[in-house]
Amino acid sequence: MSGQKQRLTIAQAVRDAMRDEMRLDPTILVLGEDVGIDGGVFRATDGLIEEFGPERVIDTPLAESGIIGLSVGLAATGFRPVAEMQFMGFVYPAINQLFSHAARMRNRTRGRLTTPMVVRMPYGGGIHPPEHHSESYESLFLNTPGFKVVVPSNPYDAKGLLISAMRSNDPVLFMEPKRIYRAFREEVPDEAYTVPLGLASIAHTGDDVSLIAWGSMTRVCHDAAEVLAVQGISAEVVDLRSLNPLDRDTFIGSVMKTGRAVVVHEAPKTNGFGAEIVAQINEHALMHLEAPVQRVCGFDVVFPLAHLEKLYLPNRDRVVAAAKKTMEF
Amino acid sequence: MPRTTVYEAVTQRLEILDLEGQVDAELMPELDPNRIIEFYRNMVLMRAFDNKALKLQRQGRMGTWPPIQGQEAIQVATAMAMEDSDWLIPAFREQAVMVLRGVPAHTIYAYWAGDERGSAFPDGVRCFPIAVPVGSQWQHGAGVGLSLKLRGEQAAAVVFGGDGSTSEGDFHEGLNAAGVFKTNTVFVIQNNQWAISVPLSKQTASQTLAQKAHAYGVPGIQVDGNDIFAVHVAVTEALERARTGGGPTLIEAETYRLGDHTTADDASRYRSEEEVEQWREKDPIPRLRKYLEANGLWDEERETALENEAREWVDTQVEALEAMPPQPLEAIFEYMYDEMPPHLAEQMAALKAEVEA
Amino acid sequence: MAFVFNFPDVGEGIHEGTVVEWLVAEGDVVAEDQPLLKVETDKAVVELPSPKTGTVLKIHFAAGDLIHVGDALIVIGDAGESVPDSGKGTTALPQGSDAVSAPEVEVADQLATAVATGSRRPLATPKTRALAREMGVDLSKVSGTGSGGRITDDDVERAARGEVSLTPPASVPAAVEIPANVTITADGPVERVSLTHLRKVIAGAMRSSKQISAHVTHVEEADATALMAAYRDLKPQIEAEHDIKFSVLPFFIKALVECLKDFPMFNASVDEEAGEMVLKKYYNIGIAVDTPQGLIVPVIKDADSKDMIQLARQVADIAGRARERKLGLDELRGGTCTITNIGPLGGVFATPIINQPELAILGLHKIEQRPVVRDGQIVIRDMMYLSISFDHRWIDGAQGARFMTQFARLISNPNLLMARL
Repeated sequence: MSGQKQRLTIAQAVRDAMRDEMRLDPTILVLGEDVGIDGGVFRATDGLIEEFGPERVIDTPLAESGIIGLSVGLAATGFRPVAEMQFMGFVYPAINQLFSHAARMRNRTRGRLTTPMVVRMPYGGGIHPPEHHSESYESLFLNTPGFKVVVPSNPYDAKGLLISAMRSNDPVLFMEPKRIYRAFREEVPDEAYTVPLGLASIAHTGDDVSLIAWGSMTRVCHDAAEVLAVQGISAEVVDLRSLNPLDRDTFIGSVMKTGRAVVVHEAPKTNGFGAEIVAQINEHALMHLEAPVQRVCGFDVVFPLAHLEKLYLPNRDRVVAAAKKTMEF
Repeated sequence: MPRTTVYEAVTQRLEILDLEGQVDAELMPELDPNRIIEFYRNMVLMRAFDNKALKLQRQGRMGTWPPIQGQEAIQVATAMAMEDSDWLIPAFREQAVMVLRGVPAHTIYAYWAGDERGSAFPDGVRCFPIAVPVGSQWQHGAGVGLSLKLRGEQAAAVVFGGDGSTSEGDFHEGLNAAGVFKTNTVFVIQNNQWAISVPLSKQTASQTLAQKAHAYGVPGIQVDGNDIFAVHVAVTEALERARTGGGPTLIEAETYRLGDHTTADDASRYRSEEEVEQWREKDPIPRLRKYLEANGLWDEERETALENEAREWVDTQVEALEAMPPQPLEAIFEYMYDEMPPHLAEQMAALKAEVEA
Repeated sequence: MAFVFNFPDVGEGIHEGTVVEWLVAEGDVVAEDQPLLKVETDKAVVELPSPKTGTVLKIHFAAGDLIHVGDALIVIGDAGESVPDSGKGTTALPQGSDAVSAPEVEVADQLATAVATGSRRPLATPKTRALAREMGVDLSKVSGTGSGGRITDDDVERAARGEVSLTPPASVPAAVEIPANVTITADGPVERVSLTHLRKVIAGAMRSSKQISAHVTHVEEADATALMAAYRDLKPQIEAEHDIKFSVLPFFIKALVECLKDFPMFNASVDEEAGEMVLKKYYNIGIAVDTPQGLIVPVIKDADSKDMIQLARQVADIAGRARERKLGLDELRGGTCTITNIGPLGGVFATPIINQPELAILGLHKIEQRPVVRDGQIVIRDMMYLSISFDHRWIDGAQGARFMTQFARLISNPNLLMARL
């Protein structure tokens, strides 16, 4: 343990996670489009092929379904592939391999064959890209039993969660908030370490209202909490980090303390994961609610292109307004 | 300037055993007579196993069943050419290959009767479970082939699919990746002419399925799938190539689905009895029997003994199937994750309480 | 043992079929897998093979009959065995359950009933409902003061204490004429009047003062005869010379100030955290004023440095502006001791509530002629009661008695008071 730390962005932390774990575990392979020589379109795999060679860092043909199909075969026979979907918006062709096989192999064979693999997906809006590059499809995966779904909001969590994902014996979907890939730096230890899957974090304590979010939206909630503090409202920010398995105790505990909640996510509102959070608050904290739980989400529309993107995305002011609504109920 | 030819392709067909049981002496492989008898015995046993399943279904003792009738030669020859270190990746009409590769026959009955334990194969049996989403397994063939190559194993992944499955994108992606990475894979198409009610002529404009290999830079070959010797030769070649770093091969084994697509289908709605009868004349089992008898390796007595053996063996499988105790309620929940997450444990407990109340 | 063969689902979701023909008859011996009958379904004509070897004991249904999945078709057993009753049996594979419609009908009925009776649930958040349950309060009997008529936690707490606001029952006797602002409760008609902000403030202040201080009231009697004589003498002269209304109150203010100088702890507050009594060296006397909206206590600053004429002028001014609600915030704070001149309104004596953070409040009561004994004789004198409530945490009863004795002395001997001014 060197004990050394560096200030890294999320993209760098993700790269370091793979690098450090690949040094420890020879069964880990990285595969995807442009992940090798190019180091990944977001540079998240930068330098890996130089260190580990083309047999462990594989530039695949342009075939999302193929990447996952290959990964299923590799994972069931002793490897731990870390597959990259270049953007979450392009995961659709791979849905069949993911849903029909990766999520089900263990159950199908009563545990004889398993598919330990990680599927990394940059997701979310805010980088003004072309169409299909801004989507957040976590709901699809969360309603399909068999996956774990994990979303870091900062560099320290990104590295620790990705390493935990690589060590998991279950298929893990690792959503990377691309808008904040390079937005800020944080101290990250040099060597491999884990942040457990299935554990949320109270990113900021408060007493009046719980702001529940994940990924880039956690940052938005931090900003909202600052504004609310000036207005005399003490907001608690709950960073879920793990959507499946979901750390119910932490967010329910928060809502029991504050009595008020706002759930924030980029994905469209109807049937978004916020609805599940609200349902669980209903089941486990109803008697503590001072006001209905608010959801601040994307709208039930196709993600708009760059010009209108700002209107779609949940932002600090929308979260502040929602929090105040709960206070004034 | 005139156009130049940048690529020219040739696709070959291999036939060795004709309908009268005669073989092409030049192409006939060297095979121990007992092995040939073993070919025959296995085909007969598996046909009996298959036929019994149809009856069980009509008796309400079996779920939907996809018969393999007519396709035994491909399956038996391939299975018997494989080693224990080779991986089998079936589609869903490969019962004979699976049994001969070490999957207990009654567990195949169990799978189609609706019990997940039918896909839990014994340790050491290198076999993937049945792939229901058509064609999705082609990619696993590439993935497993890549896995074996990366690990330096002298072994191959043998992946099966039907003529219909070659229209799926996974066929293209799997072959393409196998070609690019030169994986240890043997792709076997059981072309039985029909994908439920869609004939091959409506499945593709390609003249053959084997020629598609050219598109991927992969060697391909068509064989008479009902000719057990031809299948044996083609598969043996392909396995050798795959195991020794020579990369993948695509084999189109031409055969015919003598039965319905499954027990939920009625083929008489879309094809004629004449066509079926024409193909019945090419049935692999009587064909090989003619060869055996012509070479003094078989007779009526042995036939009767084999029929009895088949019946007994099949009855044993049925007994084993019906002796399986039902899975407990926990089996619904236990195999989702490495460790059961709390929310699932809650749901399981709630169901248990409901059921026991 | 007789085996009943029930019609299985032969093709993924078949529910029924038609018997085409029987291939065996009752009494026949059949072998396992031997075809028994042909059935036509939506998908195909299928042959059903026998699951058992034995003798056909009974055949149900004839050619042309409609059969449903699960129906007993044929019974196979030993010759001469008795046949079990026909009916739905079990097959090796579980059959799909029949659609059950009864529960759905039940739910629809309940909804219809609810709509018909027009039942309306009281509005309350889950937290308030939980509180109500805890406190044994029936929400349907509580009137909500929250937004939209919502029942608040406060409403529940008050209801629990018995200060119940009742909602009217569904039916009202038609013959009774009810004024617009009156509602009928279970006990009788009531008029609801909104609480003003001032009222709520006073309520809060009174309750907390009673909770904070250990109130004791000491009552003294004073002979105000000489004082009243002096007052009657001065009044016309002062009112003529200065354009003011001259009441007797300035005398009392002055007497109070002198007593506060003699007994500094009555002109103090306590800093408990610092563990100190803060003795005020200034004398800001609060005068309780009754306004139509409620009690207001404006403060006369530095009463010790003002003569009685100035005091009179100030009293008249602040009382007038108090009633018009035109006082500044500064005029309502900073008091060191308070007088409540309740006498003009009647009563004998009272137990006033201390004006926090002060430690004492002086009540002045009615001056009236009473027979008293002086030198063994009954004489008629102008007598008045004086009450002082003080905080016994910091001021003992004996002090209170001494204070009032001195005050009564000054009132009874105005020359003594004059000598000190």
